[in-house]
Amino acid sequence: MTRSGAVSRVLVTSLASPGGSCYRHCDRPLRIRRFASRLPGTWQVRACPSGVVSVTVYTEWTRRDPTASARTELKRRTVPPSLVTSWDLRLATRHGPELGRSAERFLARARPRRGVRVVYWRVYPFRGRDGKERRLFVCFRRGHPSPVFYAAAPDSEANRCPVCVRAAKRSG
Amino acid sequence: MPARTGAHPQRLTVVLAPWCPHCVPLSVRNGRRLARELRVPLRILDIDHRSQERAADRLVRAYGDAAPDYLIPQVFLEWSDGTVEHLLTGFSEQVPRTARAWRDLFASDWLRATRRAVPR
Repeated sequence: MTRSGAVSRVLVTSLASPGGSCYRHCDRPLRIRRFASRLPGTWQVRACPSGVVSVTVYTEWTRRDPTASARTELKRRTVPPSLVTSWDLRLATRHGPELGRSAERFLARARPRRGVRVVYWRVYPFRGRDGKERRLFVCFRRGHPSPVFYAAAPDSEANRCPVCVRAAKRSG
Repeated sequence: MPARTGAHPQRLTVVLAPWCPHCVPLSVRNGRRLARELRVPLRILDIDHRSQERAADRLVRAYGDAAPDYLIPQVFLEWSDGTVEHLLTGFSEQVPRTARAWRDLFASDWLRATRRAVPR
């Protein structure tokens, strides 16, 4: 049994997607970091060692579309929150047959019947007001308990999380 | 995915874009194979063609994973009783994960059961 919306272990295993490299940035292998939120599902951030985010993935075992609640949670962790737009949030439903035999049989037995809903947040590189390229970064540093998402120039030395910068100013 | 009594598969549709590596050639090739196995015609809806885009949007909004900029590929199976089944949406993580989803679909209990519904 899992709490409503939580993703059981067999599904987590079936949905896993290890590997991948940082596309059009550094080509280094992506790291997968997880974090918790008030929502029942699971969060995954796929980012390179410099913190450039490839995609952030929210997975919930539910009938409903979790896009709106995922957007709210992402806005709470993003500076500025306006970086999170509906255009960059994409939904996918996983029914079972495309997840392998174990997950298919697990989902077929489960009552009530429901699929796995996945919300992807992918922000493609964009130009800032100065015309320079910006990418989405994530900071997992201690000092803030959950990740902070922010946009910065990919090659800048000043790629610093706004929350960490604020904390450093306060302490120094 | 519910079992259907007396109905049989009628058409397979893949919603895609030619520039998408999850779509071409991966999902075109696998869509062809699935259509052959189910003995149904394959319809490709290219979201970069205006007329096909309208049909694709309607299908995705009614039966698929809709979003302002929805994911591709999305695969649908139409049945003789008028129902439309959403089968698969691409895995945004990476192309090899979408390839694995196709492999799993071909090895699934669902496909075995669906093949039994195909008229001889």
